[in-house]
Amino acid sequence: MTNHASRREFLRNLGIGAAALPFALNLTSLGFASTTTRRKRLVVMFSPNGVIPGAFWPDEEGDTFAFKEILTPLEPFKNRTLMLHGVCDKVRGDGDNHMRGIGCLLTGTELFPGNIQGGSDTPAGWSKGISIDQELKNFLQANSATRTRFGSLEFGIMVPDRADTWTRMSYAGPNKPIAPIDDPYQMFSKLYGRMKDQESLRSILDDLQEDLATVRKLVSAEDRELLEEHTAFVREMEQEIRSETGTTAEVGHAVPQLEPKVKRENDNIPRISKLQIELMVSSFAADFARVATLQYTNSVGNAQMHWLGIDEGHHHLSHEPDKNEDARTKLTRINHWYCKQLAYLAQRLAETPEPGGSGSLLDNTLIVWTNELGKGNSHTLDNIPFVLVGGGLDFRMGRSLKFPNVPHNRLLLSLAHGMGHHIDKFGNPDFCSDGPLIGLT
Amino acid sequence: MRRPLERRIVLVALLAACPSIIRAAGPSGAAIYESRCARCHGVGGEGTEENYPELMVGDHSIAQLAALIAETMPEDIEQKCPPEEAHKVAAYIYEAFYSPEAQFRNKPARVELSRLTIRQYQNSVADLIGSFCRASEWGDERGLKGEYFAARDFRPEARKIKRTDAEVHFDFGEGSPDGEKLEPHEFSISWEGSVLAPDTGDYEFIVRTEHAARLWINDKERPLIDASVKSKGESEHRAEIRLLGGRAYSVKLEFSKAVQGVKNPDNKKDETPPAVKASISLEWKRPYHTAEVIPSRNLSVTDAPEVFVLRAPFPPDDRSVGYERGTAISKAWDEATTESAIEVAGYVADHLSELAGVSKETADLEAQLLNFCHTFAERAFRRPLSDEQKLLYIDRQFAEAVDPDLAVKHVVLLVLKSPRFLYREVGTADAADPYDVAARMSFGLWDSVPDEALRNAAADGQLASHDQITEQLERMLLDPRTHAKLREFLMTWIKVSQPPDVSKDPRVYPEFTPDTISDLRTSLELSIDDLLNSKAADFRQLMLNDSIFLNGRLAAIYGAELPKDAPFEKVRCQTEHRSGLLSHPYLLACFAYTNSSSPIHRGVFISRSLLGRALKQPPEAVAPLPVELHADLTTRKRVTLQTKPEACQSCHSMINPLGFSLEEFDAIGRYREIEKNRPVDSAGSYTTQSGRVVEFNGVPELAAFLADSEESQAAFVRQLFQHIVKQPIRAYGPDCWQQLQQSFAANEFNIHKLAAEIVATSAIPPE
Repeated sequence: MTNHASRREFLRNLGIGAAALPFALNLTSLGFASTTTRRKRLVVMFSPNGVIPGAFWPDEEGDTFAFKEILTPLEPFKNRTLMLHGVCDKVRGDGDNHMRGIGCLLTGTELFPGNIQGGSDTPAGWSKGISIDQELKNFLQANSATRTRFGSLEFGIMVPDRADTWTRMSYAGPNKPIAPIDDPYQMFSKLYGRMKDQESLRSILDDLQEDLATVRKLVSAEDRELLEEHTAFVREMEQEIRSETGTTAEVGHAVPQLEPKVKRENDNIPRISKLQIELMVSSFAADFARVATLQYTNSVGNAQMHWLGIDEGHHHLSHEPDKNEDARTKLTRINHWYCKQLAYLAQRLAETPEPGGSGSLLDNTLIVWTNELGKGNSHTLDNIPFVLVGGGLDFRMGRSLKFPNVPHNRLLLSLAHGMGHHIDKFGNPDFCSDGPLIGLT
Repeated sequence: MRRPLERRIVLVALLAACPSIIRAAGPSGAAIYESRCARCHGVGGEGTEENYPELMVGDHSIAQLAALIAETMPEDIEQKCPPEEAHKVAAYIYEAFYSPEAQFRNKPARVELSRLTIRQYQNSVADLIGSFCRASEWGDERGLKGEYFAARDFRPEARKIKRTDAEVHFDFGEGSPDGEKLEPHEFSISWEGSVLAPDTGDYEFIVRTEHAARLWINDKERPLIDASVKSKGESEHRAEIRLLGGRAYSVKLEFSKAVQGVKNPDNKKDETPPAVKASISLEWKRPYHTAEVIPSRNLSVTDAPEVFVLRAPFPPDDRSVGYERGTAISKAWDEATTESAIEVAGYVADHLSELAGVSKETADLEAQLLNFCHTFAERAFRRPLSDEQKLLYIDRQFAEAVDPDLAVKHVVLLVLKSPRFLYREVGTADAADPYDVAARMSFGLWDSVPDEALRNAAADGQLASHDQITEQLERMLLDPRTHAKLREFLMTWIKVSQPPDVSKDPRVYPEFTPDTISDLRTSLELSIDDLLNSKAADFRQLMLNDSIFLNGRLAAIYGAELPKDAPFEKVRCQTEHRSGLLSHPYLLACFAYTNSSSPIHRGVFISRSLLGRALKQPPEAVAPLPVELHADLTTRKRVTLQTKPEACQSCHSMINPLGFSLEEFDAIGRYREIEKNRPVDSAGSYTTQSGRVVEFNGVPELAAFLADSEESQAAFVRQLFQHIVKQPIRAYGPDCWQQLQQSFAANEFNIHKLAAEIVATSAIPPE
């Protein structure tokens, strides 16, 4: 996608502007009027290989703090950002830290023993439990007031084409990993394929009627009855298709136009990232789902960010010792780039009005940016990066919080409670006894 | 619901010719009509000019007619018809020509405009797409190609062994498949080839292993089962896939015994890996079967191209006349054709570069895609496009769509929604039109569109004579799709294509488990395959064959000397009391109650399916007499007691004696000499339509009668005709049925030759 000169042009290029107009003018329409309760959404964004803590965590605690280098893209959203230091992944058991890092991150429970050997520790299989995004999806889908077409959407960006413990973050249940969709066109057809088909059908209807009329004349009078019946069915189909007042009735906005034919390859990561973010924002505007994940590569992901002038793979760099200044700089820039994606997502959500409600999508969405490790070269599961952006869960934003080494299960509980799902344990119950994190709201 | 029409046709003959009770009570209705009514009303109720010039049709009931006749007929004679005879005449004319049903039946049959049946639709889209890929070849070598690697992955340089494995069912224990070439703790194997799906339906594939495995079926890119991560000791992996019968699908199975992931991590450099067990098996669960290791006979070392298998569901076809036909449509059907067209268009769009042989770099991309669409439409419509048609279906779509890819989608949608694709033979005046002839042949034997050879023959005018047609048919008979269609027919003919619940009372028959039932069905299928694969393909052998296919499990129940785990093999029946399909335990069990045999079900099967006799539904729903109520009666005695009333006897006098002759076989088809401490009486009889009484004792004598009976041969010919052509045989001229019977006999009752003759006869229909 090209750079947009203005927000207006940007919206127009997406085809969103016109359809969003009624909302901008504060008109209710298109069936959204009946929406009474506020929508709440959760997005989990994942990037791999830990961070450089010194360039990541603010020194200060509380509502007066300064972003370190990696976080600077979030400046415009600083008052809507909440940084949680001191939240640790306490889950142990089989698998190395990269495997547990991603496999226990959203599940809060151990991996099964298995046949996948990591760089150390014992071999492991899949996670023993459901992940929080899927738990919340199930919760929302169980209630007709919060049910949506898909419930949740799992986006990926260059996730390796193999199913193993390092590539899967979401779980529908024990041993049930969910593959993220990392092809924007596949995601597009999941979201809008049906509508495109209807458009195609509509475009052939006249020719089909013409065809039927010709053929009808060719058969005997006795047989014509059958073809007349057939013609009536086609006419009914035509009426059904035409009575849908176009695509906007179904999605609340025009179908986004994707930049065509972006190949799924390393150097296209920035373009794919943008496409996926657009699709996510569109799907929220259409209320296709209230939960989404956005997974950049995988645990131990090895993106080579040539577009930043960095030729080494990300995972490879992340093993370099602290004293390697060059590596530190590059890793800081890599994480800065990921943060830019987060900021872009926040921006797109902020400039898209909440359909049928007030404010923007970002007002009703919480993005959680996280990682499988605290720090790359130590492989620590302490101080897992958790950066929260947006107003979706009514947390008190614009703060930097420092917790005293608390299990991340408690944060998972907080997310559940924030979404209205009041469970008292999630994942391994041993890490849940103190309940949700205190002081988020 | 079953074939009301045919039932009535023969009922006339039945009333006229057969039941002795009527004869015993005086002349039949037909005889009375002929002698006393026909002089005025005409032999078929058509009337006579001088006395009663009107057609005798109406909607009075039999009782009303009888009262009328008793009161007024014959008009010119003082002495009116006695009530008893009036009733017989009324019943006769009602059935023969008076009633609305009889009027309908007596209308001359015609070839009706028909849409594709579901099977024809599914096969047509599969072959339409397949026609743009390389052809499939099943080959002669059974099993799968196995490659064994001394590594955890499948690097060519680590390959140590290449061989053919008959099936994938190995237990390597803690060792290696080859101690010299492969280390026991780390080796991998890949198997490749194809698998033949005998029937259409949902197949569940099952991979059992303690180690990493992946399985691809039909789709070479996306694995159907990805078990490369072993977790929680799960060792069984299942996934379902829909397959069309009579086609081969590519298979690839990868197995790796090794720790996956990071090789030699620092903390384990010097450890010797612990000894662990390894086994792998590739199984499937076919429709109507339990899980089994995929047998060698369904595997080929030859690769197969991808087959397009439609997922969109259709409402079931009308089978009320005994065969699937497409003479009616519904809204649900129209919607299904839309869903299907969308599905096919999506598939074509996704595979466009392979199908159209183009890439983004192709210079004249649009022209190439236009060509592809033109060919696609011609193959779908089974004939060349006229210029106007090309304008409508192709050119206009390319002119109107924003890009050629979208135009292709539009063409596919329009073509597949067009009546020219959806219906058979619209818009040709000439019955001998070579393209129609080609389509009749391919739909006849394959339920699908013509292949390249047929298309060429049609274009070259090579389908004009009976000989030219027969020559093509001989080639077509060898195609697995013909085998699948004939096999499906035979299973339908013996009423088990969609089997009833065969399960039995486990207290009485504990050995009759779901696995046994599945094995028995396999055994029956093997008999049918065996016959169809034989050169003679002799219909009579279906009755007379003295062998049966048994495996170890069945042998233990049905008495044969086989090791417990023996695979299926053809064995001679141990008892001289068995003969052909009639005594096949699967059929005997299908036509039986859960705890006892059922001479009535067996008799009805023989009357209706094998002899083609028409039977009415029982006058009222009758529950079978409970066994316990007459604990000391044999089944034969109990059935006789239950069907004693005269109302029952008009049909049961035919049904029971046929069914009794199978009484030597119990509810699971095991041979028995004693029932309830009494010797079994398997004496039976049958009165033919010409009035001859045939007696037989036990299955072999009954089977010998049926094999040679013109009635059973005629019934077989008619049913096969309608299964193949999907139109009533009467629509093909008054002599068609008889001529086919004669040619059947002249060809030593060869089923293939009969099928070819049926297709040849129907390919150039009467004007």
